[in-house]
Amino acid sequence: MSAVSRTAKPPLEYEVLTDVIDLALWAGQMLLQSGADAARVEETVHRMGTGLGCDWMDILVSPNVLLVTTISGDQFRTKVRRVPRMGVNMTIVDEINHLSRRIDHGELDRLAVRAELRRIDTLHDNYDRWTVVVMVGLACASFSRLFGADWGAFGVTFCAAAIAQWTRQELHKHHFNTFMITAITAFTAGCVASLASVLELSDQPQLALAASVLLLVPGVPLIHSIEDIIYGHVLIGLTRGLIGAILAMCIALGLLLAMGLMGVSGL
Amino acid sequence: MNALDLLGFVTVDAFWSALAALGFAVLFNVPRRVLVGCGRVGAAGHASRALLMEGFGVSIVAGTLAGATLVGLIGLILARRLRVPAMIFNICGGIPMVPGMFAYSTMLSLIRVVDAPPDAGEAFLISAGINGIRTGLILAAIAIGIALPGMLLRREKPVV
Repeated sequence: MSAVSRTAKPPLEYEVLTDVIDLALWAGQMLLQSGADAARVEETVHRMGTGLGCDWMDILVSPNVLLVTTISGDQFRTKVRRVPRMGVNMTIVDEINHLSRRIDHGELDRLAVRAELRRIDTLHDNYDRWTVVVMVGLACASFSRLFGADWGAFGVTFCAAAIAQWTRQELHKHHFNTFMITAITAFTAGCVASLASVLELSDQPQLALAASVLLLVPGVPLIHSIEDIIYGHVLIGLTRGLIGAILAMCIALGLLLAMGLMGVSGL
Repeated sequence: MNALDLLGFVTVDAFWSALAALGFAVLFNVPRRVLVGCGRVGAAGHASRALLMEGFGVSIVAGTLAGATLVGLIGLILARRLRVPAMIFNICGGIPMVPGMFAYSTMLSLIRVVDAPPDAGEAFLISAGINGIRTGLILAAIAIGIALPGMLLRREKPVV
């Protein structure tokens, strides 16, 4: 940013700064809890603040906290917001990205931005829960085919993964701890997938076991972990990697319990 | 494997990986208009890796790096055309290549070490080590591969 454009903007009132920082934090919070990488959160919050009339925004993206300072003329404000939940919702990432570009082009004022953020925050999911259950089942069953499984294992994997996804949705509704949800879901998937071995439905029952828990693999945190480190957000990258590793251990724990219960060896 | 068999193998592989990518795209609640694109990117990445590995004898890590780079490239193009963040295609396209089977073997071998007879523990430890290294390297290859095209092609001065 050049010195000319820095001074070109009229200084904002203190109350206006308060409003801008609130809007920017809200957008950043939604992005971070929808699975955006740190660089995107930083860039979007910055673009929103400067688009709404601030001279500069300084953003600290830490694993579960956002810290933002808005600067305009001689005034500045700083605010912290907790981001306790970490999920994946690509539609929210897309909507906020679109919103920040419109703000950057000067199409929206603060009132319109607040209305848009409220709309995005209350968006319904694009797919109803049964579509998700069937598609997740199909995805894991496809993985079993990619591993070279026969049709018996394919069918068992589909059932196991679909039932596991349904279980996960139910547990989410009751606000269980994320790690606990992962372990219980893996246990459910493992119990159903063990039927491939118990009922002799397939020659490669171990492939059904491996594929049926893939819906739980923390692919997004693991991929973002390395991406964040590449772009210089080392702390959040390391945290994501660690969370990914712990989630993987939860999957192993659930599977182990299921295999012990069903008397299946798994190899 | 002759050329025709290879083509058939890669086509079947593309079909299943597209379905896997689609399933995860639905789970991640992608906008409806990019759903088909997610399936295509997933198929392109995994099938190109399968082609490199089966047809040209490339190792799985190098193949994954190439496949993921292709995912990142198509992701950039589709993102520009459909006006959505490239991240959506990168994530959905990378998912089919995630080494689920190696991760599973790693965890299982580690667990086996606990109650293995005294002289049989090493075998499980070695198996866990080998599969763990494969899992880690393939994951790293996915992440680096999908980030590569963006790092090479979009190098505007950072706004922040």
